Amino acid sequence: MMRAPLARLLRSEVRWVLRRPRTQVALGLLAVVPVLIGVGIVLADSPDGSGLLTQVAGNGLVLPVAALSISLALLLPLVVTMAAADALAGESAHGTLRGLLLAPVGRGRLLVVKAVGVLAVAVFAVTAVAVLGIATGFVLVGEPGGLLTLSGTEVGVGSGLLRVVLAALWTVGQLAAVGAVALAISSATDHPLVVLAAALGGLIVFGVLSALPALEWMQPLLLTTGWAAIVDVLRDPLPFDGLLTSSYRAACYVAIGAALAAARMTTREA
Amino acid sequence: MTAGATAEATVAEQPGPAVRVRGLRKTFGSTVAVASIDLDVPAGAVLGVLGPNGSGKTTMIRLLLALSRPTAGTVELLGHPVPSAAGEVLPHVGALVEGPGFHPFLSGRENLLRAAAAEPLLASSAIGSAVETALERVGLTGAASRRYRAYSLGMKQRLGLAAALLVPRRLVVLDEPTNGLDPAGTREVRRIIAELHAAGTTVLVSSHLLAEVEATCTHVAVLAEGTLITSGPLSALLDGDAPVLRVRTPDGAAAAAALRSAGVDASPDVDGVSVELVGTDAPAVVGCLVRAGVAVHEVRRQRTGLDELFAQLTEGGAP
Repeated sequence: MMRAPLARLLRSEVRWVLRRPRTQVALGLLAVVPVLIGVGIVLADSPDGSGLLTQVAGNGLVLPVAALSISLALLLPLVVTMAAADALAGESAHGTLRGLLLAPVGRGRLLVVKAVGVLAVAVFAVTAVAVLGIATGFVLVGEPGGLLTLSGTEVGVGSGLLRVVLAALWTVGQLAAVGAVALAISSATDHPLVVLAAALGGLIVFGVLSALPALEWMQPLLLTTGWAAIVDVLRDPLPFDGLLTSSYRAACYVAIGAALAAARMTTREA
Repeated sequence: MTAGATAEATVAEQPGPAVRVRGLRKTFGSTVAVASIDLDVPAGAVLGVLGPNGSGKTTMIRLLLALSRPTAGTVELLGHPVPSAAGEVLPHVGALVEGPGFHPFLSGRENLLRAAAAEPLLASSAIGSAVETALERVGLTGAASRRYRAYSLGMKQRLGLAAALLVPRRLVVLDEPTNGLDPAGTREVRRIIAELHAAGTTVLVSSHLLAEVEATCTHVAVLAEGTLITSGPLSALLDGDAPVLRVRTPDGAAAAAALRSAGVDASPDVDGVSVELVGTDAPAVVGCLVRAGVAVHEVRRQRTGLDELFAQLTEGGAP
């Protein structure tokens, strides 16, 4: 069977994702988040208080982790969900999904290509936040002297940067879970807004459920339960429990999302 | 007229029909979009699928192209069953279905490059030239760098056509290709269809415009309410039953009277009479008129216009 080379399809998809004005605007705005946080902390400059943000003052490498943690609450899932909404529902609404299926790109392959496109957006978004976070931290604190951990110890710059990379990778993993579920919704509708509303609405519902003491038994099932674990990268020695558990949980969401999307794609009419 | 008539017109060197449809049916809930269609499109033919809006043309085309799954029945394209072997056959099929679909934020050229990247038959090195050729073929080279958002309806339609022609195809399916085009654009679409036909490509073109089909097609299939009313070579349908003889004479009333007394149904009109050739033939009519002393200036067999046929078929129910 003749098929277009997968690498060519992936290149074309990633180029399309990056050419899209809304992706560019979203990535640009995300890059501003760590700058805003950093500047805000410097201007406020209140030494009292014990939150994560106050740790940033005089401790530049905390800033990217704090920015990732804050963005993960809503902004990063929003950007990823937007990409997933455009990936299938948006293409269908524009009549372009038809063109891809007629070329033909096999339905399974198309799903793989789209998943890579969504993952690419997640990687770019996390990279934008992390890199601008590191840069802003260095600018605000000046000469980097390592990372003062929440446990009170100090680790070197190299180790500190590795911890930021770990936080970024973990964040991409959590976003992959959001993206997989959003892509599954995207495969079932022609309306991108439905995807956006359903996925973000789901996250908000998760937040509400996890706040109810009576529903404590439900916590292990909720994706958002483990999202506080990102702060663990700032502890010494590094506790991997929370990071691993939340990553496994994200992997389960990816598997469920992928299975639902694959099932829907095989019968989808375009 | 059914499969038998069309089979005669099959191009000899091709092994079988380009499109073969048997018992095709598609229902959405209780709505029957396509009732039960049997259709053969001979290889190399230009088939016009004619039908009023909502007659099932687009649904049938979507079923042919595996965009939709039939409720019952089978489809074969170029000898391959669809949808099971869609991956084998669709690379050879170009299609413009339900209007052009492109991204508004990309230019015409970028949109085609994206479409070309997905074409299995295009080598990566050939993509650039294939896109430029397709743009030139539909007359969009000048506007290729403009965003699709800024295109007129006609330009969008042309870009859709360009995407269908990115690769040399064995079968091209065009759903209402002249939608939104001005007369010049319409002529260009006709020229492109003629070029495809000359190159031996089988073309399936749907339209609700009869003139379009009459001008471009070798075969025609008429759909109404999801049912195939008739199909076959265009010429055979045009010379269908009950031909009409137009007699030009200054004395229409006398001619009609003479014919009626001879038991032939005739109706006088502006400059003569129209005679329906039922139970009689042209020489008998002329002989009768001459014996009655009516001056006959011209006798012409009137071609049944396809629109007349179309109106008969779709409004008057099945023949």
